[in-house]
Amino acid sequence: MTDTLLWYTTRGAGAVSLVLLSAVVVLGILSVLRVQSTAWPRFLTAGLHRNLALMTLVFLALHIVTAVVDPFTHLGWLAAVVPFSSYYRTFWLGLGTIAFELLLAIVVTSLVRSVIGQVAWRLVHWLSYASWPVAVLHGFGTGTDAWSAWLFALQAVCIVAVLAAIGYRLMAGSRDPLAAARSSFQAGVDRREVK
Amino acid sequence: MALRGGSKTYTMEIEETIQNRVQARDAAMRLLNRLTTGAAVSALVGVGILGAVSAHTIPGTAGSSTASTATTSSSSSTTITSSGLQSSTTPVTSSASSAVAVSGGS
Repeated sequence: MTDTLLWYTTRGAGAVSLVLLSAVVVLGILSVLRVQSTAWPRFLTAGLHRNLALMTLVFLALHIVTAVVDPFTHLGWLAAVVPFSSYYRTFWLGLGTIAFELLLAIVVTSLVRSVIGQVAWRLVHWLSYASWPVAVLHGFGTGTDAWSAWLFALQAVCIVAVLAAIGYRLMAGSRDPLAAARSSFQAGVDRREVK
Repeated sequence: MALRGGSKTYTMEIEETIQNRVQARDAAMRLLNRLTTGAAVSALVGVGILGAVSAHTIPGTAGSSTASTATTSSSSSTTITSSGLQSSTTPVTSSASSAVAVSGGS
């Protein structure tokens, strides 16, 4: 009874983690686009993005711990830490390990952002664009329920939401409020250098 | 006098604007806390519900603590795996070096 309960929890926590991770990616894109209104100030998007990212780690930890301690699978802790070291679905499980470690790197660097600086933080944060698709592939390849109608629908909703946010970002272009000032300053500098 | 009165009105307007901003910020912070709490509770409930749904769709085995268990009989084999009970009608033969077919096992 206990091992099946662990197995169901692993599957439930995995699905919830994917939903949370997708929400984090969408909120991250919206915060870059500086989306806001009178009822929804910009810091709310950034705050929710940060809180959901930390929550995703908690549910991912639940997903990993229940999978590792499940006596049925005998995955072992090494598989949770070292990618492609599992005997069971080596490649697909390895993708899950990579996605988790990328997310861990993103969250840790965000927490020590003031120490490592903006440039290093931004470079690491771009990994989120790799972490999410790797996690989705892990779900399709490893998930027991991957092709069950309910999880397939859930994954489809997550994929559509993230792709829509990325498309919106690409179409919206830069929302840098200082872009005009920067370009006019650069133009002034260029004119001065020509003289 | 008029200047002093105008200045007072101007100061009051600034104070009112600041107060409105503070109230808006407090309201947004309360909304953030409510949304975070709601997301946490929903996620916990989601684990339960999706776990139950996954148990309903692919229940797997109950009470087995080994990776796989195989039972053989003379005409069919049954293998219990993590994704459920699967049956095969092909006969099972032993891989022992003496090449003796196993039959009539329980």
